[in-house]
Amino acid sequence: MIELINISKTYYTEGKETPVLHNVNLKIEQGEFVAIMAPSGTGKTTLLNIIGTLDKPTSGKYYFKGKDLTTLKDDELSNLRNKSIGFVFQLFNLLNRINVLENVLLPLLYSEPYPKDAKERAIKLLKSVGLDERIYYKPNALSGGQQQRVAIARALINEPDLLLADEPTGNLDSKASQEILEIFKEINKRGKTIIVVTHEKEVAKEASRIVNLKDGTIINQ
Amino acid sequence: MKRLRFFRILLHSIKALINQKVKTILMMLGTAIGIMLLSGVMGLTRGVEMRIEEVMKTFGPRSGVIFSGGGRIQTAGGRASVEVRLKLSDLENLRNKLGEKAIFSGAIRREGVQVKYENQIQETTIFAVDPDFPYCAEWYLKEGEPLNFFDEKIKARTCLLGTTVLKNIFQEENPIGKRIFINKIPFIVKGILQSKGTSPGGWDMDDTIWIPLSTGMKRVFHTDNIRIIRFKVREGFPLKETISEVEETLRILHKVKEGEEDFRIRTPDFIAKRINEMTKTAKIAGFSLAVIALIVGGIVLMNILLLSLSERVPEIGLKRAIGAKEKDIFLEFLLESIVVSILGMFLGLLLGIIPVWLLPKLLPDIPMAFSFKSFTYGFAFAFFVGTIFGVQPARRASMLTPIEALR
Repeated sequence: MIELINISKTYYTEGKETPVLHNVNLKIEQGEFVAIMAPSGTGKTTLLNIIGTLDKPTSGKYYFKGKDLTTLKDDELSNLRNKSIGFVFQLFNLLNRINVLENVLLPLLYSEPYPKDAKERAIKLLKSVGLDERIYYKPNALSGGQQQRVAIARALINEPDLLLADEPTGNLDSKASQEILEIFKEINKRGKTIIVVTHEKEVAKEASRIVNLKDGTIINQ
Repeated sequence: MKRLRFFRILLHSIKALINQKVKTILMMLGTAIGIMLLSGVMGLTRGVEMRIEEVMKTFGPRSGVIFSGGGRIQTAGGRASVEVRLKLSDLENLRNKLGEKAIFSGAIRREGVQVKYENQIQETTIFAVDPDFPYCAEWYLKEGEPLNFFDEKIKARTCLLGTTVLKNIFQEENPIGKRIFINKIPFIVKGILQSKGTSPGGWDMDDTIWIPLSTGMKRVFHTDNIRIIRFKVREGFPLKETISEVEETLRILHKVKEGEEDFRIRTPDFIAKRINEMTKTAKIAGFSLAVIALIVGGIVLMNILLLSLSERVPEIGLKRAIGAKEKDIFLEFLLESIVVSILGMFLGLLLGIIPVWLLPKLLPDIPMAFSFKSFTYGFAFAFFVGTIFGVQPARRASMLTPIEALR
């Protein structure tokens, strides 16, 4: 489903080169639950951003479902993210001015066509993460674990093929972390591909495959 | 509605504004003040238009008035002027020379004259007029008989009643053929005048009694002078040229040079021009202030949007991640700016009631009227301000790359 070939990423700031990734080769099949493990600050978020099309590699090829993404335009990548990729962030990134239900519906703002059963779909997803009683709460009235569950529901609203999570449990206590990981496993069981970036072994061990990243390159798959 | 991406984003923008009320109100304020001033200017413009329409209607567009006294001793309405130089001979001469081109009629107007019927006593304005006056003033009878040349010739003690006087002293009674006393002189009522309503100057034009000019001069006011000559240029003759001819003829008759006239000619055009001149400064000042307020308001709006942008960077990042295109972010921020401006417009229109209501109360000379144009112009200006000053913040927001925004 995903194939990265010789992906390199170098940042240029004020004439200074900062290589972050070099010659990353990675293949992930449909339905896998992969953990990318690396200490902080070793390019794992950059790798995830490239997989999520938020960032572009300096060189190399990226195939998503057989399609070369390096040739796509910005708007086409936006459409791809909207339809095929769900994001879960460490800091949840919920909008506190709108309620839980509206947060879950947010990606549909940019979806074409707008699904008729949007609200039912959102409520169903919130039910599946155990938050159907709190759909009219503002996110900041919820606990961290609950907020992350809202974010997962939001990531799934457009039924993406791929779910990307960047340190999803980084801001949660161990109990909430465990709940989130259970939800991920459940989603994975239903056939969705999941990639989690983490530096915690406890998180990585829940995945079906661990990829270790060191100094910007993959040391084992 | 929700099926259209534009409306979904518009709705989302509106929700964002509702959720930050204080900021929204601050952003609205400049536009609101600008639109308030603008609707004040619009109200003034409409008021002036209406007053001019009124002048045209009460005078008739082809008619004019010659007042005695003029030039250096001009006073409002000519009432206080001491010089009285219009004579019956002037009227005769004008008729002889220009009678083909215009109808002329002499009149004396006097306010506060006592009128008595049985035990009812009232004060009213007496017009001593010759038989051509109704044609000049386009003011005719509602009932009864007009004052005719015979009345004029024999200095008849006959009169016509304006509707206000009629109501005040006769109530429901039929006045025709009844005897009333004007300055203790008995008069027989011949007819009732049409109602003319309120004059542009604000007095009740129907509070009047008409008597023959000769009767007025010889029996009531004891004067050889007339105070007013009204005239109406006949259809088919050019207005401006004929008025110039009237002026020239009078100058020759009075042996005065141009600029030293002892009479004044007032036409609806002239009055309209005067009203326009009087209000022009106010209009320009009001409009300039409105434009300045809108620009300042726009700059404030832009800066608040730019400031709030920095705290909304993560939000932009998230939206890019979940599928927003650059143009979606641009549209969202631009719509916020436009919506705020339009909300400001509504507040401004509401506040605009203040100048339109209050000013005429404080300064009754200022004509003010509500104008529907305030809405259309206000909308156009608000939309313009919202767009112009929203572009920069919207562009900045949309130019953020997803990773910059998520960092």
